[in-house]
Amino acid sequence: ASKRQQKSWFSILRSSLPFSFPILIFRLALRRIAMVLEATMICIDNSEWMRNGDYSPSRYQAQADAINLICGAKTQSNPENTVGVLTMAGKGVRVLVTPTSDLGKILACMHGLEIGGEMNLTAGIQVAQLALKHRQNKKQKQRIIVFAGSPIKYDKKTLEAIGRKLKKNSVALDVVDFGESDDGKPEKLEALVAAVNNNDNSHIVHVPPGPSALSDVLISTPIFTGDGEGGSGFAAAAAAAAAGGMSGFEFGVDPNRDPELALALRISMEEERARQEAAAKKAAEEAGKQEKVGEQASSSQDAAMTEAVNSLAVVADDKKQNLTDDEAALLEQALAMSMDGAKSTSVDITDADMSDATAEDPELAYALQMSVQETVRDSSSQSEMSKVLEDQSFVSSILNSLPGVDPNDPSLKDFLASLQGQSEVCFVLKLRNL
Amino acid sequence: MTSTASSSIPRGQVDLVEFVDWSGVECLNQTTSHPLVNALKQGSRDDDGLHLESDADEQLLIYVPFLQVIKLHSVVIVGPEEEGPKTVKLFANKEHMGFSNVSDYPPSDSTELSLDNLKGKPVTVKYVKFQNIRSLTIFIEENQGGSDVTKVQKIAFLGTTVDTTNMKDLKKIEEH
Repeated sequence: ASKRQQKSWFSILRSSLPFSFPILIFRLALRRIAMVLEATMICIDNSEWMRNGDYSPSRYQAQADAINLICGAKTQSNPENTVGVLTMAGKGVRVLVTPTSDLGKILACMHGLEIGGEMNLTAGIQVAQLALKHRQNKKQKQRIIVFAGSPIKYDKKTLEAIGRKLKKNSVALDVVDFGESDDGKPEKLEALVAAVNNNDNSHIVHVPPGPSALSDVLISTPIFTGDGEGGSGFAAAAAAAAAGGMSGFEFGVDPNRDPELALALRISMEEERARQEAAAKKAAEEAGKQEKVGEQASSSQDAAMTEAVNSLAVVADDKKQNLTDDEAALLEQALAMSMDGAKSTSVDITDADMSDATAEDPELAYALQMSVQETVRDSSSQSEMSKVLEDQSFVSSILNSLPGVDPNDPSLKDFLASLQGQSEVCFVLKLRNL
Repeated sequence: MTSTASSSIPRGQVDLVEFVDWSGVECLNQTTSHPLVNALKQGSRDDDGLHLESDADEQLLIYVPFLQVIKLHSVVIVGPEEEGPKTVKLFANKEHMGFSNVSDYPPSDSTELSLDNLKGKPVTVKYVKFQNIRSLTIFIEENQGGSDVTKVQKIAFLGTTVDTTNMKDLKKIEEH
C-alpha cells in the first residue's frame, strides 16, 4: 500500500462500515471547512549559529524537523496549498524550491544543506516576497514563515519598514524566534510582526531552549493552527493530543477554538452512551445465562488475538516502510488494551505515549478512544461489528474496492484468515497496515 | 446636464456597477475595517459613513474585473478634500498588478483629480484607450493633502457595454 492510501484509509473505513462510530468521524471531517488557500515561503536559518546543541539534537536539526512538520500540515490542510523553501545564510539567500504542492520535492530539497555564514533577514524576506509574487495560482494568500535563530543585526526601524511593505502587499508573516537570544531580539521581531499584522494574520513564537522539541512547541501555536478562524482540524486536534489529551477540556478540544468539533464529539459520545446503556441493560438481564458463553468467547478471542499479533508482525515486516516506531508501539498498546478490556473498567485513555504517537493522526486517536470504550463495556455481548466482520464476503468486497489492494496478496489472505472473532480495534489497525 | 455634479451622467452612458465581477475584485493596502466594497457597492458608496481607507501608506491599488467587455467613458471618484486621491493612474486589462510593477507599464490614462472631481464630477478618460475593457486597475499614487492615509468615498464607472455573448445563455440547437 502506498503512502497516499495510508493517509486516506480512514475515509475509506468511514464510508464502508455501517455502524455508529463513523458518524463521529464523519462529523469530524465535515467541520474541516476552514481550509485557507495559501502559498507559503519558509525561510531557513542555516548560519553558523545553528551548530549549537541547546535544542536537541542540534538547532539546525530541530529547525529542519519543525519545517518538515509545517510543510506536511500546510499541504494536508488544503491540497492546493503550495510551499517553497529558501535559505538565508550560507553563500547568500538561495531559493531551494519555489512554491509547489509536491511534498516529496519540498522534503527532498532539505537534504544536504550546508551550515555556515550569516543570516541575512531583510534579503531573505525580500526574496521570499518575490517568490510569492510569481506564484502560479494568484488566488492563494501569501505567507512567509521565518526561522530566526541568529542574532538580528538590523534596527527596529528597518524591520518595521519591511513589515509595512509586506502588509501593503498583503503578505502575512510568521516568525519563530529561537536560538540566540541577545538583548533586543524579541522586541525587534515583535515590532516586525506587529507592523505586518493585519487582522491577526501574522504571529510570532518565542521558543526558549528546553526539554521539549521545537516541533512540539510549534504544533500548539497559531503557526500550525492557522489564522484564528479555527484553522485546520489536523493541527487543532494534534495540539490537543500532544498537550496530553483531556487537559481541562472535554474531549481535549477547546470549545472556544473549535465549537463545532466539541459539539460533534459531545453528541456522538452521548449517542454512544445511550446505546451502551441499552445494550448493557439487555446484557445484564441475560448475564447469568450468557456468562459461561461469554467466557468461552473471550478466551477464543484471546487465542485469535495472539494469532492476530503474529500475523500483524508478519504484515508489519513486509510493509515496514509504512510503519514508524511510534505507530508500532501504538498498535501493541491498543491490542493490549483490547485484550484485557473485559477486565479493566477504567482504561487510561489519557496515556501520554498514545497521545504523542497519535500527534500526527488525531482521527485515529479519537477513533481508538471510542472503540476502546465500546470494547470495555460491550465485551460480553456480541457487537454488531463482529457479526459484520464474520461475514467474510462483506469484508472481501470492501477490501476489493480499496484502491491499490491486490486480493491475491498472501499477506492479505493471512489477514482475512485471522479475522474471525476479532474486535473492531484490531480490524481497524490491521486494515491500516495494508 | 444638471447642475449638481454628483448626479450628472453623460448622455448615452450607463453606470457600470452592475457589470462588476465581484468575485474578482481586489484591493491592495486597504484597511480591513474600511474595505473597497464601501466605495464600490451600490448603497454603501453613497453612505457617507462608509469609505475606503488605505493602510500602511497612502497608495492604493484597486483591481476591478467586469462581467462583460465594456467601453469606459469616464470615472467618478468622490473623496474628502484633504485625504482624497490626487494622482490616479488607470491600467486597462492588466491583471494581478502589484505595487512593484505599476511603474513597469505606462498607464492607459493618468489624471490628477481636482476638488470638483472629488465632489463627484466625472473624469473623462481617453476613450480610445478604453474601448475593450475586461478589467480595470486603478492605482492611487498620492492624495490631496499628502497625508499617510487616503480616503475614498465612492468609485463609479460610466460607459457602455459591448454586446458580448453571455456564455450562460448559449443553448444547444435542437437537431432536426
